[in-house]
Amino acid sequence: MGSLAPVVLTVDGVTKRYGSLLALDHVDFTVERGEIVGFLGPNGAGKTTAMRAIMRLITLDDGQVTWDGRPVDPATRQRFGYMPAERGMYPRMAVRDHLVYYARLSGRRGAAAARTADAWLERLGLAERRSDAVQNLSSGNQQRVQLALALLNAPDLLVLDEPFSGLDPIAVEVLSELLREEVARGAALLLSSHQLDLVADVCSAVVIVDRGRVVLRGDVAELRASSPTRYVDLEFTSPTPWRPPGATTVEDEGRRLRVAVDLDADPDAVIAEARAQGKLLSYAYTPPDLSEIFLRAVRRDTLDTPPDRHEAVDAGMGDDR
Amino acid sequence: MNGRVSGPVSDDRPLSTREAVGLVAGREIRERLRATSYYLLTGLLVVVILAIGVIARLADDDGPGSVTVGVAGPAAAQLAPLVRQTADALGREATVTAFDDDAAARAALEDGDVDAVVLPESGQVVFEEDVDNELVAILQQAWAGAEIQRALLDAGLTPEQVGDALSTTALEPTTLEGDDADDEALATLTGTLSAILLFISLQTFGGYVLTGVVEEKSSAVVEVLLARVAADQLLAGKVIGIGVAALLQFAAAVVAGVVALMVSGVDVPGDVWSAMPMNVAWFLGGYALYSMLFALAGSLVSRQEDAQAAAAPIMTALIGAYMLVFIFGYVPDSTASRIMSVIPPIAPLLMPMRMAAGAASVVEVVLALVLLVATILGAWKLTGRIYEQVLLRRGSRVSWRDALSLAGRG
Repeated sequence: MGSLAPVVLTVDGVTKRYGSLLALDHVDFTVERGEIVGFLGPNGAGKTTAMRAIMRLITLDDGQVTWDGRPVDPATRQRFGYMPAERGMYPRMAVRDHLVYYARLSGRRGAAAARTADAWLERLGLAERRSDAVQNLSSGNQQRVQLALALLNAPDLLVLDEPFSGLDPIAVEVLSELLREEVARGAALLLSSHQLDLVADVCSAVVIVDRGRVVLRGDVAELRASSPTRYVDLEFTSPTPWRPPGATTVEDEGRRLRVAVDLDADPDAVIAEARAQGKLLSYAYTPPDLSEIFLRAVRRDTLDTPPDRHEAVDAGMGDDR
Repeated sequence: MNGRVSGPVSDDRPLSTREAVGLVAGREIRERLRATSYYLLTGLLVVVILAIGVIARLADDDGPGSVTVGVAGPAAAQLAPLVRQTADALGREATVTAFDDDAAARAALEDGDVDAVVLPESGQVVFEEDVDNELVAILQQAWAGAEIQRALLDAGLTPEQVGDALSTTALEPTTLEGDDADDEALATLTGTLSAILLFISLQTFGGYVLTGVVEEKSSAVVEVLLARVAADQLLAGKVIGIGVAALLQFAAAVVAGVVALMVSGVDVPGDVWSAMPMNVAWFLGGYALYSMLFALAGSLVSRQEDAQAAAAPIMTALIGAYMLVFIFGYVPDSTASRIMSVIPPIAPLLMPMRMAAGAASVVEVVLALVLLVATILGAWKLTGRIYEQVLLRRGSRVSWRDALSLAGRG
């Protein structure tokens, strides 16, 4: 970004109450231009509410959201692209009409709106379906149109709620590439997802929320590196009864072992010992992956949704807070 | 140096409120004007209204208003002018045909050439099937006139003197209030038709607003829209857009009504003429008020199945106002009717009828309009506040009580 100060989205002490439920509790984080930030948390943690707060869709009880140091106003927001978790289009309205309408709503005038719509129809490979009602498209194509609505005005900030949900692996790859292009163009990108491997692959930083609070945030590699735990993964050519003394074996499949060691322990000692016991096919020394960091941050044993939050969601206050 | 790395890549500019409302309204208009049902309903309304006018005209021309009477024998020449004169006094047109004898006259009646025959020999009036009592009275009076004429001539008066003695002027029927009875009936008819038309239009287009809002909420498209336009802009755009489509249809119906009145050939009183275009103003006011409340009802639910239940209080108010028209619209001068017709939810339906009857004073009309506009502005504020807070609440229906408490919280 050269000598210029980075342009950032700043979420500052944002707090939102729904009756007795504290949906967001002084949430702080930032997203810079050229950065992809993964927004993680169990269902009901507050991800959607926070995204709605950024898009000014809800009134806040406390805190503020700023872009480039100034509170987000309707003019700033017009330069944000948003894809809500619940996809929404007019079922009987034609594909191209959607794109033109939304381009106009995004402040694009006259013929420029039509040009934008046609360019996106080409880019998405939907030129031949331009006149089709949205309800007659496959769900994959509907998803593409929905994404185009968020991207068509080349936004400064992209807020995408679960952009990968419901996509097949090829579509995931195409979308990932598209998002990298947007960020390379200079957009800031905040996306939520439950697919942690994808987040680890696409995002440079993560913000993890639980019960309305930010429990962990930072660069993905740094978060992994700062964990006090390391793993030594050992794979023997045949099952071996040997288990390293003085270290915890966390996974044991006979032929394959995962051994947890302290951050300052020497992995070479373990590996040398293992070599003496049997023929090694492969070995590795790794920090915990993102899903383990996530689970530790939200103090859960599995990725299953805690039931208590589900009930709050079903009470009709929103889909995901 | 504001730190912006790269400015907007195109000429995108922020939308003004008017532009935002215009875009939303434009989409609504296009959607309504694309639907076949819109044209079917408009066409049906216009056809029905024109048909009323045409039927009235036909009834005037060829109906029982004009008759052909056959007279057997030499009395025809004397009876003919008397029959015509008497019929004319009663607003009917009679043609008299002479026949040589009873047999020829009866044959003509059987063939349908005449509506009735007078047989002076036997002193009978013969009809083919149904007796037209008014025609009997006309013929009776003409017959009596002929006998008096004969008696006076026999008594030695000159034909001129006889003519003077028998020339009569017709009595004009009026009511105690001095109105022309026909005019009042016509005013009641057009007033009633206006009320029915207003009710149908308010219900139809209010229903479009209701289902349109529920569609946006249930399909979640509203969340995408609210990221671009404010809730009150979305509300105003929807109401205005559907309102334009509604207004086009209503105006077509009113024009059809004016044409129907002209075609009917009926003598139309001035109050009826002036009340017709005012219907458009009442429709606009009624639509603005009711559609906004329908939009509010729609914003409370997430499924089309729940829409009718949520709109029930609004529907009840509309139907209630409509029913009051049939109680107080027919006594337009009563104090109760005067009071009812200035109450905002009732005024758009009741006042047009009182205006058609010529019973509404200028002060009453202005007062009703002022109250209506004030209520519309209040409803817009209230609805806008609730709207933005409930549109993103999916799931179970938000009760009216909760919605109103949200408005208080603002």
